[in-house]
Amino acid sequence: MTVPALEVKGICRSFGGVVALRDVSFAVRAGEVVGLIGPNGAGKSTLFEIVSGNLPPTAGRISYFGADCTTMPPHLRRRAGMCRTFQKVRLFDSMTIAENIRVAASQCLPPGRDVRDEVAGVLAQLRLDALAARRPAELTLADRKRVEIGRAIAGNCRLLMLDESLSGLTHEEAEGLIAEILMLNRARGITVIVVEHVLSVLAAMVKRLVVLHNATVVADGTPTEIAHDPVVIEAYLGTKQSALR
Amino acid sequence: MEAPAAMRGSPTTSAAARRPATTRTLACYLLPIAIVAALPLIPFVNNYIIAATVRALIFISLGQAWNIVAGIGGQLSLGHGVFLGLGCYTTGILFNRYGIPPWIGGWAAMLLSLAVAFVMGSMTLRMRGVFFALATVAVSLALVQLSRHYVDLTGGADGLALKFIGNSLWAMQARSPTPFLYAALAFVVVYYWLTRWILSSSFGLEMQAVRDDEVAAAAAGVAVFRTKLLGFMLSAAMTSLAAVLYMQYYMAIDPEAAFGLSQAIQLQLPALLGGLGTALGPIVGGAVMVFLSEITNWGSTKIGVEGLDILVYGLMLLVVILRAPNGIVGMVFKNAVAGGSR
Repeated sequence: MTVPALEVKGICRSFGGVVALRDVSFAVRAGEVVGLIGPNGAGKSTLFEIVSGNLPPTAGRISYFGADCTTMPPHLRRRAGMCRTFQKVRLFDSMTIAENIRVAASQCLPPGRDVRDEVAGVLAQLRLDALAARRPAELTLADRKRVEIGRAIAGNCRLLMLDESLSGLTHEEAEGLIAEILMLNRARGITVIVVEHVLSVLAAMVKRLVVLHNATVVADGTPTEIAHDPVVIEAYLGTKQSALR
Repeated sequence: MEAPAAMRGSPTTSAAARRPATTRTLACYLLPIAIVAALPLIPFVNNYIIAATVRALIFISLGQAWNIVAGIGGQLSLGHGVFLGLGCYTTGILFNRYGIPPWIGGWAAMLLSLAVAFVMGSMTLRMRGVFFALATVAVSLALVQLSRHYVDLTGGADGLALKFIGNSLWAMQARSPTPFLYAALAFVVVYYWLTRWILSSSFGLEMQAVRDDEVAAAAAGVAVFRTKLLGFMLSAAMTSLAAVLYMQYYMAIDPEAAFGLSQAIQLQLPALLGGLGTALGPIVGGAVMVFLSEITNWGSTKIGVEGLDILVYGLMLLVVILRAPNGIVGMVFKNAVAGGSR
């Protein structure tokens, strides 16, 4: 049996009296593209922060390719290849696009590989070459999101966690970004977890969905299974029609 | 894979076209250095002007040191006077008591500052924003009291005066300000190139990443706390080395001049006025600060109003904050935002 890329076991998190996550467990296989959905307040962002190391869980365990990383600091998770983007794009505004990517490449690249080559490779792969010398403020939202993905994959990336990377984009921009994410998944063998609000956006992208509601996992299956799951329909989607729209 | 054009520079740039630009750049660097170095040879330049230039250069180098932690690293240390004081007192005490010259005492001061910065940074750098700033102020205020208390060692509130043994390279002492002009100029040039190197190095990028966004920096693999601590220690070491020159030039130090808040503000002004996070900023800001101070001092003597220079500092700071948040350099060079290498 192959070791999962990410395994979340019994994760709980409370903020005072408020329970944000209750006994959340699921696993993601290496090379898989998985969607994590749920309404506002379901606990998606909290789970994301716990998995990326910015927030400690109250209870539970996180394994990354078989190794326990529950207490590992965020920068060491990143160096081990656990990468993420942010709901609101967070680039280094005083730096150029190439420098933004260079920061991650210089930290995370395995020994013996050239940082400049890695930066050039990432820029080329995400079609950012022409923007390399610009600063984030000069870019469109779609380009900034691509830069953030570029910074996330630079150096060493085995698991890419995208936090609402498609929100705020036009239909065409979202389609372009989805194609690029799937290309990264195929070309680099990167496991991808995508957090989104809207199921229809994810349906085109993922083969498996995990649904969070009221701080716990309520469903786990293919997009079609999820769209027909009565618990999901009642708890999150409202009607079957709205789910598939 | 070959680097894209944007990383290599314009593809149309030929060697011939680059040559005049390189010559011009070199001239831009060498001309100001040559002018300052030639000051003592110019007939109308007297010791007063040379002394004012030395003061400007010393404050520039102190500003350059503070710029590393605050401008590039984004950690607003308001207690950097701690390292100025440690540099001054350590070299002064070692020379007065044991006859150890500042050439050796300076390194001792630097090591002591590194140790203090390590302890101070370990305790305070996990705090963010205003809390870190306040913690550094608390340390400097504590040192004001400590240096007043240990009278035998520091001279108490009266301060510590260096024993003057006349012109001596060994003791780094001179009656004329001219030798200090060259020493201070050397400090500024070395610190300028060090800042340029840091800005373009991987470590500099880490510091700028932390300054821009700590969470995103960690998500890019940067060890945030370690980066902040190293930046703080580097800045402390640079401050204490420049403080050796300060002590040798002024020949005396007292608790307020070393650890006081007004001194701490003077350490920050060159970078704040000139442009935080830029290599050129503290040089421009320090020059403006000291020469404006000389003019206002002269003016206040003429019209009989004390403290006019402090008023002018305050006004300058207000104007810069309101009108040019990127400092004078940022105002002149549009692209020289924090993190730029100008």
